[in-house]
Order: sequence, then C-alpha cells, then structure tokens
Amino acid sequence: MKLELRGVTKRFGSFTANDRISLTVAPGEIHALLGENGAGKSTLMNTIYGLYSPDEGEILLDDREVSFNGPGDAVAAGIGMVHQHFMLIPVFTVTESVALGYEPTRAAGIMDMAVARAKVLEISARFGFDVDPDARIEDLPVGAQQRVEIIKALSRDAKVLILDEPTAVLTPQETDELITIMGQLRDSGTSIVFITHKLREVRAVADRITVIRRGAVVGETSPQSTETELAGLMVGREVNLTTAKEPADPGEVSFEVRGLTVLSSADKVVVDDVDLSLRRGEILVIAGVDGNGQSELAQTILGLRTPVAGSILLDDQDLAPLSVKQRLASGLGFVPEDRSTDGVIGAFTITENYVLDMYDRPPYSGGPGNAALRLPVMREAAQTQAERFDVRMGTVDDPISTLSGGNQQKVVLAREMSRDLRLFVASQPTRGLDVGSIEFVHRTIIEERDKGTPCLIVSTELDEALNLADRIAVMYRGKVVGIVPASTSRDVLGLMMAGVPADEAQAQAATHHTVLAEADEQAEAEENQ
Amino acid sequence: MSASGSQQGMTPAPKPEQQSPWAEAEGRLSRALRELGQTSWVVTVLAVVVALVVGAVLILAANRDVQASLSYFFAQPTAFLETSFQVLREAYSALFRGAVFDWQAPSAARSIRPLTETMVYSVPLILAGLGIAIGFRSGMLNIGGQGQIILGATSAGFLGYALSLPTGLHVLLALAGGILGGAIWGGIAGVLKARTGANEVIVTIMLNNIAIYLLAWLLQQQWYKQTGSNQPLSSSVDESAQLFSLLGSGFRLHAGFLIAILATIGVWWLLERSTLGFEFRAIGENPEAARTAGINVPKATALVLVIAGGLAGLGGAAHVLGTEYRLAGGVAGTLGFDAITVALLGRSKPLGTFLAGLLLGGLRAGGVLMQAQTGTPIDIVLVLQAVIVLMIAAPPLVRAIFFLPHADGRPRIRRRSARRKTEASAATSSARQPELQTASTSKASSAEPPSAESPSTSTQEPGK
Amino acid sequence: MKRSFKTRGTIAATAAAALLLSSCGEAPEEDGEGAAAEEVDYKACLVSDEGGWDDRSFNQSAFEGLEMAIDELGVDSADAQSTAESEYGPNVDTMVQQNCDVVFGVGFLLEEGLREAAEANPETDFALIDSYFNFEEGEELENAKPLVFNTGEAAYLAGYVAAAMSETGVVGTWGGIQIPSVTVFMDGYADGVERYNEDNDGDVELVGWDKEGQTGSFSGDFSDQTQGREVTEQLLSQDADIIMPVAGNAGVGAGPALEAAEAKMIWVDSDGYESTDYGDIVLTSVLKEIGQSVYATIEEGTQDGFSNESYVGTLENEGVGLAPFHDFEDEVPSEVTEAIEQLRQEIIDGDTAIESENAPS
Repeated sequence: MKLELRGVTKRFGSFTANDRISLTVAPGEIHALLGENGAGKSTLMNTIYGLYSPDEGEILLDDREVSFNGPGDAVAAGIGMVHQHFMLIPVFTVTESVALGYEPTRAAGIMDMAVARAKVLEISARFGFDVDPDARIEDLPVGAQQRVEIIKALSRDAKVLILDEPTAVLTPQETDELITIMGQLRDSGTSIVFITHKLREVRAVADRITVIRRGAVVGETSPQSTETELAGLMVGREVNLTTAKEPADPGEVSFEVRGLTVLSSADKVVVDDVDLSLRRGEILVIAGVDGNGQSELAQTILGLRTPVAGSILLDDQDLAPLSVKQRLASGLGFVPEDRSTDGVIGAFTITENYVLDMYDRPPYSGGPGNAALRLPVMREAAQTQAERFDVRMGTVDDPISTLSGGNQQKVVLAREMSRDLRLFVASQPTRGLDVGSIEFVHRTIIEERDKGTPCLIVSTELDEALNLADRIAVMYRGKVVGIVPASTSRDVLGLMMAGVPADEAQAQAATHHTVLAEADEQAEAEENQ
Repeated sequence: MSASGSQQGMTPAPKPEQQSPWAEAEGRLSRALRELGQTSWVVTVLAVVVALVVGAVLILAANRDVQASLSYFFAQPTAFLETSFQVLREAYSALFRGAVFDWQAPSAARSIRPLTETMVYSVPLILAGLGIAIGFRSGMLNIGGQGQIILGATSAGFLGYALSLPTGLHVLLALAGGILGGAIWGGIAGVLKARTGANEVIVTIMLNNIAIYLLAWLLQQQWYKQTGSNQPLSSSVDESAQLFSLLGSGFRLHAGFLIAILATIGVWWLLERSTLGFEFRAIGENPEAARTAGINVPKATALVLVIAGGLAGLGGAAHVLGTEYRLAGGVAGTLGFDAITVALLGRSKPLGTFLAGLLLGGLRAGGVLMQAQTGTPIDIVLVLQAVIVLMIAAPPLVRAIFFLPHADGRPRIRRRSARRKTEASAATSSARQPELQTASTSKASSAEPPSAESPSTSTQEPGK
Repeated sequence: MKRSFKTRGTIAATAAAALLLSSCGEAPEEDGEGAAAEEVDYKACLVSDEGGWDDRSFNQSAFEGLEMAIDELGVDSADAQSTAESEYGPNVDTMVQQNCDVVFGVGFLLEEGLREAAEANPETDFALIDSYFNFEEGEELENAKPLVFNTGEAAYLAGYVAAAMSETGVVGTWGGIQIPSVTVFMDGYADGVERYNEDNDGDVELVGWDKEGQTGSFSGDFSDQTQGREVTEQLLSQDADIIMPVAGNAGVGAGPALEAAEAKMIWVDSDGYESTDYGDIVLTSVLKEIGQSVYATIEEGTQDGFSNESYVGTLENEGVGLAPFHDFEDEVPSEVTEAIEQLRQEIIDGDTAIESENAPS
C-alpha cells in the first residue's frame, strides 16, 4: 500500500508541531523518519494513526484521500503501529494479547481463542518469528514482546506498519533480529515507517530517509549518506559525533563498591553482588540494556536505596550511615537518570533548581539554623553558572520547564559540578537530548574527569559508552558480566549485554557480525577516506 | 530468539517498581493540587461571577413575589422582570450592606460595623485557610481543618477559663495551647502519612470525626466544662484570656485579625523565603526530585501537617478567645470546610488566601442581613460557596463556559507525569487514557510534546 | 442546614416549574387586598439554632407559632436561620437592628446571645425557648422571658402507657444528644415505667436510658436518620417493642426499623401521627406546645402585656400533654386510659412529683 502525506500541518495553540509535511512511502519500502527528540516525528505518526487530526493537508492511501476519527479507522484502513512503549498486559498470553480489542467471536459472543491462536501461529511461521502463542507476556524478553506487537498489527492486515523508536529498548543483537524482520516484511510487500534518531540504524535498513527538524521536512536522502551528513541535516549544523578526549590518567582507587546487593520493593534481587572500583581521573561506564539494575545501583550509591549486603566506600569512608543529603554534601555529584522526574522541579525557577540540593547551607541560606533563603546570592550564583554552562534561557527567574531538555540538563550539571566533587555519578546523562547538547554534556564530563574526579556513568546507549568510557562494565540481570576496556568491539559488548561472559562473547563475536557492526565498519571506512 | 532480554518483564520503564494503585492515586491527587495552584485569577473571578448568577436564579426561584409574578408572566411580562430585578437588587444590596458598608444604618458606627463583622468572620477562615494552603502547596490535601480547629478551640478555651493568670500571659498561653492542639491533630495525620504512607485525606477525615465526638464527650465532663449545669456548654473564657477588642464596645472586631495578618505574612515568608518552605514546595511539586536532592521527604511531610494543624488550631483558638468565648458542640461550625474553599479560592497563595478569607467572611456576614431583611434563605450563601468551589476545582468547566483558551493555548499534556504514568501503566491498561484530561485523542507516551525546542509554549504559568 | 436547603430548594424548583406551566394567569388588580387580619404595629422575630426551620422539632414548632401569629394577629415578622454557632450573636443583633418588638431565640445555645442583647437593648423584648437565662445572682431583666417545658410530666404518662401496652415486657427510649431538654423526656418516661411496675406489680424493663446513672443510648445528633435507625435496632434486639426516640429528625429513622419489627413508636414534641410518615405505628406522642407559647407571647406583646415571668409548660396549663392514641384508640384498655387520667390529675394537683435533674427549675 502506498502512503502519501501532502502538506500535513498540525498545530497545538501557537506551536506548530508539523509544518506542511509531505512525504511518500512506496509499497514495500522501509522509509526512515529521522529527527531529534521533539522534532515532530511522533506527532506526525499519531496524525497518521488517527490520534490527531491534521489542521491542514491530506493523507492518501493508494492515492485515495482518507480521514481517520481514531486509531480504529486507521487500523481498518490497514495502518498498524508499534509504540515505543508496548501496550501489552503482562498477565495475558501472546494469543490473548493479539486478540485483545479485536476478539474473534463465535455465536453468543464467546471468544474464539482457537482462531486467534491459529492466526498467531500462521503469522509467526510466515515471518519466522519464534513466538509461543501460549507464553505469558511478562515471561517474554523485550524483543519478543515487540514481535507480539508486530504480530498484533499484522493480524489486523496492516499494510503500512509504523515503528516508533523500536530499537530504543533492544540490545544490539535484538536490534539485528528486528532488522531482519523488517526486511522480510518489506519483501512481503508491507510498507514500513521507521522512526528513529539513531543514524547507524537508518543507514543499515532504510530504503529512503526523510529528515525532519522543527516540525518541517529538511531533506530526503538515501542511506548512502554518511552519518556526519545525516547528523548535520538533523541538527542543522555540523556536529562532532565523537568527543575528543585525552587518554585517562588514572590515580589511586578512591571509590569502591563491594559485594553490593539490592532488592526491589517487591523483594526481587535487582543488584546482585556487584563489585566495582574507580580510580581518580577515570570514567567507568556501566553499560547494559535498560532495566538490568544499573539505575538501582546508582540510586543505592546516592542513598535512595538501602542495600541488603555489601558496602560502598568513598575514600575509605563507608557511606552506609550517611543520608542522601550528607552524601551530597560530602562531595558526591549526582545526575539522576530521569531528568524531569528526579533532576529538576519543573515549576521551580532556574535559580531554585540550581540550588535544589544546596539551598540549606551557606552561602545560599543563612540566619539561625540556615532558616532563611538568600535569594540574591542564589540568583547571582545561578546566573554565573548558567552563563558558564551556556544555558539558553530568558532569565534565571523563569520556571525551568520553559527550557529545552538540553538546557535543563545543563542546569543539573552546573548544579552538581558547582561543588568540589570526590565522586561524580550520572545516570543516562544524555537521554532525550539533542546532538548538540550531548556533545556539551560529554565534554563537561570529560573535563570533570580531567580534574581528577572519578566518574561513574550509567548509559544504555552503546555509542555513548564507547565515546565516554575509559573502562566499560556491562550489567545483566543485576550482575556485572564483565569489565572491559573501551576499545572493545560493539559485537562483543552487545553479546555481554545479553548476559554472555566477556571471553565467550569475544569468541562468538569473531564468527558472527551484526548488521550494525558492519554498518559501523563501513562508516569508519568512509570517515577515514 | 536469543537469551537476551531484561528481567523487568513488560515495561522498559526506568523505574523498577510498578507503582501501586494507591501511589498512583496519590500522584494524581498531588498533580491535581498543583494544577489548582496554577489556576489563573481570571478563573477565580469568573467563578465568583458564576456563583452570583446561580445564586440569583435560586433567589428568584425561592421568592414568593417572583413566583406570583411568574404566574401571570404572559399577561404582564414586565411585572416579572421588575419584580425579579427588585428582589435581586434588594438581596444583593443587603448582602453588600451586611458585609461592607451599610448606608441605611442609623449611626456612622453602625454603618461601618458590617466591614468589621466581615473581618471577625474572616479571622478563623484566614488562619485555617493558610494551613490548608500550605498543605496544597506541599502536595497534601488536608481535609482535617475541621478537627484541627476543634482541637485548637478545645485547648485554647479550656486554658482560657480553667487557669487564672495575668492578662497578657493568659491570652498568650491560651493561644499557644490552641496552636499545640491543632498541631498535634495535624501531626497525627502527618506522622501516619510519613511513617506508613497512609493517605492523608482519609486519615484527616477520620480525625475530624474523632475531634467532633471528643468535644461532645468533653462537654459532658464537669472537670472540663466547669459550669455545674447539664447543658453541653463550657464556661466562658476569663477576661484575661480574651483577645482584646480593637474598636471598643459596639464592635466585635478583636486582636485575632492582627494575628491573621501576621500569620499571612509569616506563611508568605515560610513558603517563599525560608529553607523549610523551599522543602515544602519541592515535595509538593515533585517529591521524587526532592528526595533525590537529599530532602527528607517523610520529615517534611509530617512537618507540613504539623504546621497546617497549628495554623488551623490558632484559627480555632482565635475564634473562641475572640468571638465565642465558650465551647459548644458546634463551635467550629463548618469553618474547617470553608477553609478549604478559602485556600482554593486564594490559589494556595498567602495573600490570596487572606483575600478569599475576607470574601467568604463577607458572604457570611452579609448573609445574615440578607436573610433577616429580605427573607432570602441563608443557604444561598452556602450555594455561592459551593458553586465557587466547583468552578475552581473544575477549571476546564469554567473555561468551557466562557470559551477561554487554555493558559498555554493548546491541549494540556503534562509531559513528565503523563509520560511516567503511561510507562507505569501502559502494561496494565491502555484504557486509562481519559485521565489525561484534555485530549482523549492524546496518547501520552507517543504524543511528542514540543518540549525540546519550544520555550514559548511552556505549560507553566510564570510567577508565584 | 444542607437538609433544609434541599427541602426549600426542591419546593422552590417545583413551585417555579408549576408556575411556569400556569403562567398564563391573569395579573392581579393593582389595588389588591391587604393582609387578612387588620394590621397591628408589632414585629415578631425568630432566630433558629443550627437545626433550621424544618427540623420537625422545636425550631419548626416555634416557626409555626410565628406563622400563626402572622395569620391571626397580623403582626410583622422576620426570621433568621443560623447555620453555625458563630451566627447566633450576629443574627440576634441583626433582628434588633430590624426594629423587632420581640426576638425569640430557639434553644439553649442562643441564651448568651439573647441575654447580652437584652442587656444592651432594654427597648426590645426577648424570649428564649427551651432554656432559662443564666443571670448572675440577683440579676433580673424586664425584657427577657424564658419559655420552658416540663416535658417530663407528659413523658411520665407516656412511660406508663408504654409499660402497660408492652407485650414483651421491654420498652425503650433513646435520644439525639445528651442534653437536659432531651433527657428530661427520658427521665419522665423512666419514672412512668417505674410507676406502672409499682402500681401493677409489673416487671417491665426500660432499655436505652438509666435515670439513676444518667447514661443511655444517643444517636449523636438530631439529623442523621441512619444512625437513628441503628440505635433503634439495637434496642429492638434487646426485645423492646415500644420505643420513644427523642431526636428530632433523627428520630424518623426509628420508623422503618419499628415498622419492620412490628413494634410501636412514641413520638415527641409534635403529634407524630400527623407529623411523621409512620402514623400507623405511633402509639401516642409527648406534646410540647412550643408554637402555642410563641403565639401566646406574641399576643401578650401586641397587647402591651409582655412580662419577664417564666412560662413553664405543664400538664396543668396544657403546655405539655399526651396526644390521642389515634389508630390504637381501641387497643388501649380502658383501665389504662383511666389510670392515665388519674395520674394526670395527680401531677396537676402536685400529688405526684416528677423528679428530674434535667427538668426546668
């Protein structure tokens, strides 16, 4: 089926999220929609899927104009969507999940599970999905859950499949499998709209690439473009994809985690007997697929969680008896992973956010018991630091929610780095940031390292890990699978992220290359020319 | 299929724990409270206008003359209109004369007395309203103003007639007792919430009932009421413990009004200029970020309710020591609930609360004259209040009635909360979207609000 | 007060709707007739307590007295419902400002407000319903009149009837709140039961009130009928088959419970046969003629005969009394009616004294 958009415009109040977007997805084509976070990709897809109605322009399917009043219409017209966050119910089986909302019924409204089950098996066999129709969703790995979503879309005869950031939650190997599936779907005539901000993937799978920036199409290009070209289009200026850094000059070990074990609130082991040690002036990146205990490890270091076993030592001092406040005061800089939830308070001003964990001590407060805030001091410090960190803002008295994500993160970094640090911990420091801001954040972290601060960075982005790290520790199911040098190959790291021990991963990787790794090598070759 | 995957099962949410339904409800509640604080003053004013219009309809419907003129409406339509106009003018002008300035009064003193009466009524409303407002700002819905007022009144009153002390000391001690009584009552809810996560709404409602029955029981006890009579009434507060009159005899205005002014300034300082208030606002706006920043959230939570209770208790104390002088079962009336209206109307800001307290006090004072002079049932005043609350608690309704655009001119999708909510609940239910109030069409997870590059379209209203 | 609004609001809305339908009527003559009775230059004013005018209890009775005075005597009037304790003083004060000749306050809670207003406004008369004024030793005001009722006397008769009519040998009573104007009923009732046992060598038991210890069953307020029903059911489960609720509107909750248990009710204040929906189970009622006393006081006032002398309603002056048995007329044995008649006379003659620490004195 051919999907065509002509001049689609979607406004929210005075803000134009999509500005006269035109694009054509040919039948049997993988069309990548590339753009930064907030560029308007998802709005566009929601418009196609019937969640929004466009203010202007038209949507055509096989040259016939259509208008949808909701996802139901879109599904009926042959459009399927796999959301970034799956819409599945954990306790349902695969069959039930696929049947949900589209229950094949026999007379008297009894659900015909046999029909649904047969359909799952049929689709699964046709595309070589290895999915057990009777498995419960919660028992399936993320990659398989995603396949269930795809089966669900296909079972409704989707001719155009929209995949919204499908690789965000996958390991490199799972990504590789997804790419294979996408190829098969294309070959069977399904059109695919592939939304992403990852350049490498686009080059590996797309037939055509449309780049959007600030709600408008800024270019259509072929996968032959280099990553630098694509990034340039996406950001609107030339960017450095890698941050130059001197080799580390590690000092003595100053931070240690020994035998740390942490339980979730449901008493499940989320951090399992973890040992780590960090030297001064070194960046250790904890890599791994999201949800393997990295976040909990970082939270435990800050003191938000109490470990059931093990110890955390900073310069030979046990942190266990210290509260969060005391840990921060004694030289821990902490950048939480979910900026908007944990890092800043949206309604607070930039100034207030700047002092968020220092408001109750001089110079920001005074008087008996430091009871009174010193607003002018706070404001001046925020102003100075904001300038140093190049925060683009109106005034420091504006709510921080008026800033872009990148600028909010700069405020967080400015705050955390305004103290003399003995340890810097950052969780997903660049999640959701634009390329320009990522560059800035990386540079800042490296500068902190160069001042001699040990830095522990949690990242699920392999690119970031490879770019920043001096050493990489891979976590899987709460355990550290291995700690390897930053020069380790993408394939090996990918296997480790799936739980394969380092040496075994080396051996496996030697015999099997992923599509992405190949794309990577190709890219390197091009860059070197 | 490889062995890859995560042990998280379903959701790739960054938060490892699924939120419990309770926690979710709590989150929704505090979000709603935050929204209330951001209600624009236009909505507030319009809410009052709508209330007056609804009140007008009811006044007309309840008036016999209007009913009579309606019976021959088609024969003589002007009669109906004239009568209606007449009735409304009389009712609302009586309301005004009873609340602000009575130009028909026999003496000058008498004509300004209504304003002072308004101030008298407003004292406990302002004080308790400030307590509720602190709770709102800190993300807590403290329904317990009633109980806290009763405890404040009970303690202050008892100290006021049971002890014999020199004038200044006695009144101060009685006031302090009132603050302590309310603070303990609020503190119980605070500690329970901080320690066990108990929902403060439920706990404070229960504590209200306990307070009502505690007072009823005390008024049966001779050691407490010290009257020698069987009536459930306490002795009157000694003169030495009464709040002194500000304008002399003929006026009931007492020093409690000065206390209300001071408390308003104090609460402003607390919220806007103190480190403690910084913590309160932080836990109200975003408890997760507050915790990450090292704020002791349970402690701050408990303190909020202690201070809120103390203010309500002070309100109860001022009520007893300044106007009532003795305790009866209904000493608190509906003050505790009116205080919630006051805080809502005042948008949880100290000055706003002060003005809203005056407004409600004025309605109370004016209602008395309106009822006596025009026979309009005083219940109209309650209706006015109720409509105001309804309108403020439902800003979308007000906006819809007046075709106002949303503050930021587009469907409101609360980015952070919406995203997190969906991550947490997508797995369990995709049918829960309607709670994203504006657009049934917006799937929060996938709606990509133009956050990154649109500083001009923030959802936040600037300013305090 | 919510309750009272609901009623009024419903009435208003219904009235408006009805009038809309009939709004094709004729306009009245401009010079229509005045009030029914000849105009008297006298203004009688009434301030309620928190119960409001439709409390089916003393506020309502007082209001009916005022309405009667308006109709029959042609007096001017004003009234104010209090919705909170803090409004008593202002309401009384407003009435004074409205140039009322007499201001009634309903209930002991208005005592302070009325007393202070009486001290400050010697020109205006004040009457307090259901309570005496708490004057200092030796103090007396010319313009303050208490209207109180020794309902114990009539309740005594009711207790006797209940004991005589009980089949299970258990009778009950409960109150709204433990205050003297409630417990005085219960004391009299208890004594009446006792008297029956003495005279007839009976063994009828009273549940819900212990006169000796002054403890018993209370529903907590005068409005919550659900609570009233619950208390009634507790007494029913103790085998009581005749129950007297002394709780205003809350007492109505006894109705369905008693109906279901096929038990009987003794109503108080007004004749429950007429004022409640449960006439067919009302054995009798203990009457408290508040309306009458209000009317009488206003009448005295119009004739310049207001005095500060207390009005005490008794069996003798028919300020309190026992209502007819209505549907049970035939079931009450003649010896019981005779005994009642005799007891009434004894009380009037002072041969039998109703002793109660809660009685007005």
